[in-house]
Amino acid sequence: MRKTFLIIKREYMTRVRKKTFIIGTLLFPILYLLLIFGTGYIAEKSRQQLKIAVLDSSGFFTSQKLNLQNLADESSIMDLVKTTAGKSYDYDASGYDALLIIPAMKWDTAAPNNLVLKANKSYGASVESAVQTKVNRIWDEVKNENLGIDAGKREILALNRIQVKAVNENDEKMDAGLSSGIGMACGFLIYFIILIYGSQVMMGVMEEKTNRIAEIIVSSVKPFQMMLGKIIGIGLVALTQFLLWIAFVFVIYNVTANLTGSGSGGAANQIVGSIQTIFTSVNLPLTLFCFAFYFLGGFFFYASIYGAIGSAINEDVREAQSLSFPVTMLVIISIVLMTTAVNDPTGPIAVWGSIIPLSSPIVMMARIPYGVPGTVPVWQLALSMGLLIAGFIFTTWFAAKIYRTGILMYGKKTSWKEMLRWAFRKN
Amino acid sequence: MPLLELQQLKKYFASQKAVDDISLTVEKGQIFGLLGPNGAGKTTLIRMITGIFYPDEGQIIFDGKKFDPVKDVGYIGYMPEERGLYKKMKIGEQAMYLAQLKGLSRSDAQARIKEWFVKFEMESWWNKKVEDLSKGMSQKLQFVTTILHRPKLVILDEPFSGLDPVNSNLIKDEIFKLAQNGSTIIFSTHRMEQVEEICNHIVLVNKGKKILDGTVTQVKQEFKENLFRIGSSEVIPALNGNAPFEILNSGKANAIVRIQEGKTPNDVLQYLISQNVAIHSFQEILPTLNDIFIRLVESSPAARQFQSI
Repeated sequence: MRKTFLIIKREYMTRVRKKTFIIGTLLFPILYLLLIFGTGYIAEKSRQQLKIAVLDSSGFFTSQKLNLQNLADESSIMDLVKTTAGKSYDYDASGYDALLIIPAMKWDTAAPNNLVLKANKSYGASVESAVQTKVNRIWDEVKNENLGIDAGKREILALNRIQVKAVNENDEKMDAGLSSGIGMACGFLIYFIILIYGSQVMMGVMEEKTNRIAEIIVSSVKPFQMMLGKIIGIGLVALTQFLLWIAFVFVIYNVTANLTGSGSGGAANQIVGSIQTIFTSVNLPLTLFCFAFYFLGGFFFYASIYGAIGSAINEDVREAQSLSFPVTMLVIISIVLMTTAVNDPTGPIAVWGSIIPLSSPIVMMARIPYGVPGTVPVWQLALSMGLLIAGFIFTTWFAAKIYRTGILMYGKKTSWKEMLRWAFRKN
Repeated sequence: MPLLELQQLKKYFASQKAVDDISLTVEKGQIFGLLGPNGAGKTTLIRMITGIFYPDEGQIIFDGKKFDPVKDVGYIGYMPEERGLYKKMKIGEQAMYLAQLKGLSRSDAQARIKEWFVKFEMESWWNKKVEDLSKGMSQKLQFVTTILHRPKLVILDEPFSGLDPVNSNLIKDEIFKLAQNGSTIIFSTHRMEQVEEICNHIVLVNKGKKILDGTVTQVKQEFKENLFRIGSSEVIPALNGNAPFEILNSGKANAIVRIQEGKTPNDVLQYLISQNVAIHSFQEILPTLNDIFIRLVESSPAARQFQSI
């Protein structure tokens, strides 16, 4: 026990003191800050007013109506112009950025499907849709006037919007959009942790083998302790980094909430607001507990396999890639299953994917935000957790057998077939 | 009571019998040479003694009791042939780590490392990284970490490879001191002149089997060919029929002779005196361990064949 603890300590300390860890840990909050303030700042700066000349042949688009719309949305200004210039419009001389030509049409027949917004530059979909909204509002108004629908009647019409919303009877407060968002985020985080820290375990074992220190260490401790110490040490590094990030997010969240409380930055407010809804509408203790469980369970499950692969490699990185490919594939398949599970959290793929330990760490996390026991019955959660524990005990045992042989085996290229033979040999 | 006793030890791998029924005894305080050509099974044997491998059959008795890999590894210091250290780790921390893994407390480890570092003039290295050390320097560090926990049994596999003569002597002196202070040393190497210089007892292993066991003197006596070097003032005259020896090689003032079966050196001297040869020196030529090694290993097929089991 003491020796395993020593190994854990060494693995943990050498990694946490590394520059890459410190940079990676600090970089995340900095990127997070940049995201909040950067997007807000860029949105503010890049907002430009588009001046659009409207050449109306129908007579419905009066400057009064256009001005009303211009007041409602200042991103573009539409002006009625009367010009009969030839084919090409002189944008520079006129001072307009674009030209919208409205042909002659009647209010009670179908309007032309496509109006063309001519310009000497390309404008994106956002400009297109903004202009489209304005034109359609005016067109609605024209129809309303001609049909004799006044403001009062219009209100009655507007009241007539019926919305359909899926509600889980067992868990009313869950909102499908939010749940899938949280589920996805948790699933992806576990996915990254398994891949990044799993390969750290693999590289760490490989380093010990190629440095030829493995034989010295195994003359003091059992290979199993050596492997376990490495996996737990690296798992703790992942956990530390993760907790630091959460702490940073909380700090930044509080700071930015105060800063933006006055209501200046729109984008920042929005992000802060959405984080607030997450915190208030999800069963936070349960989700955090499950996240920690599946994060550690999934990491142990896969890290021991990665450790076994690391022990079988001789200095050749390509060998590492080809041996770890099938394992990496399993993790990627889990992500694919997760995207299905997020959209259909009670379907068979979601249920089985979240029970089988190969994919359960990622898939189950996609389902849990939908609610326990509403969407995920307690027996499924219990079975999934039980199987994951059994699963990682099995992979650790299995990996330890491979590790014992592999760590001292030099010079020979190893295949999965050979590794399986090591694992099932009698001692 | 011997410190280590191996009884009919066997370890078979899928493709070969790495250790095939080896028994040997290592006495306390002995410097024991474990010799053998490449692939003879030495490393496998050592790995069983250090608890890395479990024997398929046979027993290891360590210090009077059945060997317990978990507990007894604390009394063993092993320096493997293929050895390395964590490249990015500081030397002081590295030594501390390895010493603590062997069961030393923090304070004990620190005190002993300091002591050894002073002895080997390594004090200034504490905060250096292993990757900054030369091969000889890291070899010294390796030796220190092997014996820090004052093991009862020290196993050194090619301890002098990569060391210059000065550092070789330094380590050699420490090995002698360890033996004097009661440690037992198993020394594995291909360099036979080192074995002759250092070891009391040797065992030669080939193809997983023990083919020679004894003290250095015994072994030499066993393999002697009754050769003598005779220094004389003139060339030995042609031998007559009663000469109890034959001349193998004759120079101007010395000759190498082989005594016939059943005759003694005194017979040779008597004959020479009767022939009026003025003798300056008379000396037995014992075979070197190198000769014995080559003779024994070459008499069996050179390369190890893969045997089916």
